[in-house]
Formats: sequence, structure tokens, C-alpha cells
Amino acid sequence: MQSKLSDIDLINQTLAGDQSAYTDLVKRHQRFVFTLAMRFAKGREDAEEIAQDCFIKAYRSLASFQGQSKFSTWLYSIVYTTAMTFLRKKRVDTDSIDDENTYVQIENQTSVHDVNNAENKSRSFYLNQAIEQLLHDDAAIITMFYKGEQSLEEIAKAMGMEANTVKVKLFRARQRLKEKLERNLKHEAKELI
Amino acid sequence: MNNIEEILWNYIDGNCTADEQKAISDLIAGDEAYRIKYNELLNLNKAFAGMELDEPPMAFTYNVMETIRTEYAQKPLKAAINKRIIRGISIFFVLTIVCLSVFTLANISLPAGSVPISVPSGLKMPDIGRYITKPVIEGFLFFDLVLSLYLFDTYLRRKNLSKQV
Repeated sequence: MQSKLSDIDLINQTLAGDQSAYTDLVKRHQRFVFTLAMRFAKGREDAEEIAQDCFIKAYRSLASFQGQSKFSTWLYSIVYTTAMTFLRKKRVDTDSIDDENTYVQIENQTSVHDVNNAENKSRSFYLNQAIEQLLHDDAAIITMFYKGEQSLEEIAKAMGMEANTVKVKLFRARQRLKEKLERNLKHEAKELI
Repeated sequence: MNNIEEILWNYIDGNCTADEQKAISDLIAGDEAYRIKYNELLNLNKAFAGMELDEPPMAFTYNVMETIRTEYAQKPLKAAINKRIIRGISIFFVLTIVCLSVFTLANISLPAGSVPISVPSGLKMPDIGRYITKPVIEGFLFFDLVLSLYLFDTYLRRKNLSKQV
């Protein structure tokens, strides 16, 4: 049986003209790239556009990938810059939901669903809901750290920041996420987490 | 280190030195406040790690690869148009014009005596009219139609490419 090819092997095959190897690369990373795009776009259509754009950009500049970092780190840096450009283009308000008015809206929304519904929804649903309420950078750092198998240094590289800055941001992001979960879930928080 | 949470997160993430790790382990074992906080953060960490990734649409990979294929398929087409196809089209039109000219000339009937040119009696003009039948004309028109659609498609592709660039 043929063992699973590494990212580097697939890149080399793609550069040699085998487009199906790139299909495998896309399949391998699409879920994470799409999730990361969702952290910025707040809508599936926009996220799809960002994610698609990332893979096309990555294909165009695949020859410039030197293999000094992981392919995923390189790809996530493309996601980050593409998402930032997208946000700038769309002039999306990047303010956090920490803004008092918005928070009131969210609080009201959750109180409508309230206790009974809470039992029927998964922990993952509430977690994603809370992540959506974070700042884009915080949501991206949390996602890359927990689901992207990226070290603080790699996240820093992908986002063009210092590793220490990412460390501080991760700490704050976790605190904010915990607060959001507690606010959104109220009494259920302790049971769900 | 600023507070208990920061210390414990560093411990959970494995960002401490061996000495720090030992000291924090002792704190967790001996201090109730540290132990409670540690368990709380450990549960949070587990919950964060268990978050689910969003699923892209079914056709996502296909759409990406199709965009790439279209983008890269246009380049060789452009090269082919510049050389062979353009040459072929020009040859076709030149031949058509020549045939039509010959046919027209062969069918001109000038009143006798008005032109001081006499055609040699031995010269036989080909009877082209015999070959220009209805199916031939229809075939010719059909070919023209296909050719014009092809050129229109090429034009639209080029336009699309320049828009993308």
C-alpha cells in the first residue's frame, strides 16, 4: 500500500505538472483554511471566497515556497493576508463584539434561546458561537493554536508578529473566550466546559 | 509572571523550564486555589482543543481546481491562436476570396464587341458554377458560423483573462 504522501512530496509533484497532487493538498487543508477564513468573514459565502482565493494564490506562488517552514504555516500566512485584504476591501467593521451595544444584542439573542435549548446544542456550537464574538486576530490565534497544530512561533510567522506578542494575545484570547462562554451559557457553562 | 492563570496556562502549554514546571506541580499539589484553577483551565483547554472545524461546501475542491485549470488552460490557447490558428484562418479567407473572384470572372458576360479584348478560341474557362451547389453553400455558411462562434469564444476568454489579471 502506498503511504500517505507528505505536503512536500505533493508540492514537488504539483510543480512537476501533476495537478491531481494539488487536489490532494487542497483536500488535506481545506477544512482548516475554510474555518480560519470563517474567523474573519463571518459568513460562509465570504469565507468560501477567501479560502478559494488562498488556494489559487498558493498554487500560483508554489514555486516560491522554499520549505523552510511547514507548508501549513506558509498557507496560513496567505489566509491571513488574504482575509485582511478582503476585510479592507469590504470595509467590514473589525471592532470586537466587546462594544457594549453589540454585546447587548448578543445577550438578548442568547436569552431568547435560553435554558431549554442549551441542553440540545452541543458544546461545539456554543464554543463556535463564542469564538465568532472574538476579535478576528484572537479567533484566528485560538484556531491556529488548537486546530492548526501551530506553535507560537509558527503563528507569529503566519501573522507577521513577534512570538511574544502572540503569546500575550493567546492568553488574552483565552480569557475573553472563557468570559464569552460564561456570558452566553450562564449556568450551563460549568456543565458544558 | 502576572497571575495564577498566566502561570498555569504556561504550565499547561508546556512553556516552562523544568524548574518552573516542578515548582508549579508542587503548587498545584499543595495549594487548593491553584488546584481548582488548574482543573478549570485544564477543562477549558480540553474544550478548546475539541472545537470542530467548519466544513466547506461539497464542490470546494472542484471549484478551486477548475479555476486553476481554466486560468492555466488559457495560456497555451493564446499561443496557438497567435501562430497556427491565425495562419489557417487567413489561408482560408484568401482561398475563399480567390475562388469567389475566379467564379465571378468566369460568369461575367460582356456584350460582344464592346470590349476590344478577344479571348483565345482554344482557352477553356473552368465551369465553376457546376461545383457551387446548394449543399456546398450551406456547408460554407455553416463553417463560417462555427468559425465565428469559435473566435467569439476566444475573444471572451481573453477578455475574462485580462479582467482577472
